[in-house]
Amino acid sequence: MNEQEQERYEAELRRTPPVRLPDDFMARLKAAMPPTEPAPRGPLRPAAGIPGWWPALRWLATAMALFIVILLAARTNFAPKPVKPEPVSANYGMKADDVQVNEELVSSFDVVAKLPGGQPVRFRCRQWMNQLIVTDNHRGVEIKETSPRVEVIPVQIETY
Amino acid sequence: MNSGSKHELPADSEWAQWLGRHAPALLLFARQQVGREADAQDLVQEAVVESWRRQSDGAPPPLGLVYATIRHRAIDLARRNERRLAREVAAQFDSAPCWFDSGVEERERSLLIQKAMTNLPEIYRNVVTLKVWGGLTFSEIGETLEIPANTAASRYRYGLIELRKLTKEVLA
Repeated sequence: MNEQEQERYEAELRRTPPVRLPDDFMARLKAAMPPTEPAPRGPLRPAAGIPGWWPALRWLATAMALFIVILLAARTNFAPKPVKPEPVSANYGMKADDVQVNEELVSSFDVVAKLPGGQPVRFRCRQWMNQLIVTDNHRGVEIKETSPRVEVIPVQIETY
Repeated sequence: MNSGSKHELPADSEWAQWLGRHAPALLLFARQQVGREADAQDLVQEAVVESWRRQSDGAPPPLGLVYATIRHRAIDLARRNERRLAREVAAQFDSAPCWFDSGVEERERSLLIQKAMTNLPEIYRNVVTLKVWGGLTFSEIGETLEIPANTAASRYRYGLIELRKLTKEVLA
């Protein structure tokens, strides 16, 4: 169907318009139509059977809800935070009356090693024991700490 | 269905003119959506009143909005009365009132067009009705049927071709 045929056919169809509305339906439709001019809106009045203070109750409920939310928020933000107990130090309150630092020679020996070139070299090795002694006579406490230490000193290049 | 309003529109009011101009096509569209004449009239009344209330300025509503409301209400009605409607839609065309206006000499032609429209697939029938007798643009038809305007245009063309085959006895 080309464009001209389509237009002609449309015109043929439009020659047969939809049937008019039945009179009773048209009358019913017109009666159901709202008035053209919108009615002016007056102040809201409570419906029959609802007491006059009812609208105020709605505002009161809203205000109460708002108050509770604010109260909860305030309690959350401004409540005093619990104090965290600090761990008690081992030295808490300790007053040292005497501190001794000692070192004790445990052993001493020489060793001979070879350099990468094959030349022998002598080392002197010493083993020490360091000591730290803290004493609090008032409390009757003595803390003693010992730690080993190794000392290696090259002495000389050996010649055989 | 009667909303209970007691006033009457003046015969020369904007609304009365609007109804006189568009209500026949609205009722034609509604008749194609539901099986019972009473349901079709209720659909038109509900759609016109509801669409009018959506207009804040009190002017007649856009025509596409009224057609769309008729369609949505028809879908709602079909869901509520699915079983009853299926039975009635099948029999509606034997007992349905004449869809088109005609004199005695053109009654046969009107009935043939009505029968052809009945046999047209619904997707074509809706578009052809809205375009030929509703006077909507393809854009408005698209909004009414919730399809793209191009789809509406192509359905219209295919619909006319099919309708022409079905009415070739009386129409060119």
